Amino acid sequence: MKRRFDIGTLTMLPVAMLLLLGFLVPIGIVAIYSLMPPRSFDLTADLTVANYAVALTDGYWRPLMWSAVGAATATAICLGLAWPTAKALHRFAGPWATVATLLIALPIFISESVRLFGMSLFLMPGGGILAGSIEALFGVSIGTILNTHLAALLGLVYIHFPFVLFPLLLGLSLVPEEQVEAARDLGASGWQVFREIELPLTAPGATIGALLCFVLSLGANAEMSILGGQAVTVITRAIEQRFSYAQDWPLGAALTMMVIALTALVVFPVIGRIDLDRLIRR
Amino acid sequence: MQATWLALVLALLYVPMLSVVLASLSNTRYLRFPHRVWTTDAYAEALGSYTTGALHLTSFTIAAVVVVLSVLLATFGALAFARYDWRGRGPFRRLLLLPLFFPQPVLGLALLLYFTALGISPSWRTAAFAHLVWIVPIVTLVISIRLYDYDVQQEDAAFDLGATRLQVFREITLPALAPGIVSGALFAFLLSWSNLPLSVFTSGADTTLPEWLFSRTATNYSPLVPAVAVIATGVSALVIAIVAFGWEVSRRRLRIGT
Repeated sequence: MKRRFDIGTLTMLPVAMLLLLGFLVPIGIVAIYSLMPPRSFDLTADLTVANYAVALTDGYWRPLMWSAVGAATATAICLGLAWPTAKALHRFAGPWATVATLLIALPIFISESVRLFGMSLFLMPGGGILAGSIEALFGVSIGTILNTHLAALLGLVYIHFPFVLFPLLLGLSLVPEEQVEAARDLGASGWQVFREIELPLTAPGATIGALLCFVLSLGANAEMSILGGQAVTVITRAIEQRFSYAQDWPLGAALTMMVIALTALVVFPVIGRIDLDRLIRR
Repeated sequence: MQATWLALVLALLYVPMLSVVLASLSNTRYLRFPHRVWTTDAYAEALGSYTTGALHLTSFTIAAVVVVLSVLLATFGALAFARYDWRGRGPFRRLLLLPLFFPQPVLGLALLLYFTALGISPSWRTAAFAHLVWIVPIVTLVISIRLYDYDVQQEDAAFDLGATRLQVFREITLPALAPGIVSGALFAFLLSWSNLPLSVFTSGADTTLPEWLFSRTATNYSPLVPAVAVIATGVSALVIAIVAFGWEVSRRRLRIGT
C-alpha cells in the first residue's frame, strides 16, 4: 500500500510542477503586482489597493461589463443552438451522425485567426463574399453587421459552439432510451420528458459546456478586434493597453485579478462537483 | 426537419472557411467578390516567400517542442490522474482542470507579466511554455481516458512472474496507453499549431502563423493572407491524415501478426 502512494506522488510531480510554475505562481505574481503603487515596475513591500480603487472608479467596469454580458449572451445562444443539434445527432446515431459530429469537431483544430478572418471576409460590405454574391446574383447591395457588437457576438457563438455541443452530447448519451419510451407510453408530453428525464440527466454536461463557453468568451480578444472592430472594447484589450502603451503594470494586474476573480466565482462552485469518472467512463 | 437543422449548422460552421478559400483565388489588392480573374497566384507567392517560410518554421518549432514535452509530462500525469490511488489525487484532478476553465488571453497576459518580472524576454520559447500550461492538462485527460478500462491485475501478474518495474512499464502499461499517447500527441500538435490567444501575448518578437494572420487581417490585406491561411490549415489536415494513415497501417500489421 505504501509503495502505491509513493509512485502516485512521483508520477504527479512533473505535471504538478508545470502547473505550479506556469499557472499558480504567475497568478500569484499578478496578484502581488496588483497591490504595488501605480506605475511601478518593481516588487516592493509597500502594498496598496489604489489600483483596485482606480479600476473600480475609472470606467473600467464598462469593458468588464461588456465582456461579462457578451459571454453570458453567447453562452445562452450556444445552449439554445446546441440542444436541438445534440438531439438530432443523438437521434441519427450511425455513420452519418459520426461524420456530422467529426465535421463539427474539426473547426476546434483550425486556428481562431483563420475562422474569424473567414467570417470577416464573408461579412465584408461591398466586395465581401456574401455582399458580393448577392450583388452579382440579384443586383441588390446589402449593408454589413461587421464592426458592431452583433458581429462580435456572432464570432463568440461561432468559436465556442463546439465546446457547448460536445459535453451536452455526452450528457444526452447517458439518457436511457427505455426510460424515455416508458415515459411516453405512460402519456408524458415532449415537455414533460424534457423536464423530468432529459434535463436532469444532461444537466452536468450542459453545465460544463456552458461554463467553458462563458469563461472562454470572458477573455475573448480576437473575436472582438476582428469582428467587433473599434465598436467594442473588451476587458482583455483594456488590460493589454495598460501593460503596453500605458506602461502601468499594477493597474493592468488589478484588472487581470478582477477577471480571474469573476472566473473563479463561476468555476469553483461547479468544478468541485464535476464527476469526471462518471462522464468519461460511461 | 432535424436533418435540415444539422445541414444548416454545418453550413454555418463551414461558410467562413469556404470564404477564406474563395478570397485566396484572386489577384486584386482588395477583396471584390466575385473575382474578375480567378487565379492561384497568391499560393505561388506564399510558397515562394521567405516570410511565410519563417512563420511556418516558428509555429512548427513551437508545436514540435510542445508535442514532445506534453506527451512526456502527460503520460506521467495520466498515471497519477487515473491509474494510482494516492493521497491528494482529488485536489490534483481539480488543479488539472483549472487551466482549461480559464480565459486563454488572460493566461497569456498573466504569463507575460510573469516572464517580464523574472527578466525573461518573450520569444518562441516562452510561447511554447505558455502552450504547455494549457495543452498538458488536455493531453493528460486524453491519455487518462485509456486508463479507465485498464486491467491493473496484468501488472500484478507480471510482478509475480519476476518482471522489474521498468519492464512492466515498457511491456504492459505503455502499450495500453499507446492509442491515448498518439491521439494526445495529435491534439498537442494541432492545438499548438493553431493557437492565437496565448502566442499573441507571449511570443515577443517571434511571430507564429496565427499571429501573422491576425495582424494582417486588420491591416495590409492582400490575397496572400487567405492563401497563407489555407496553407496553414492544409498542414493541420496533412498531419491528421498522416497520423490516421500510420495508425491504420500499424493496426493492420498487428492484426496480421496475431
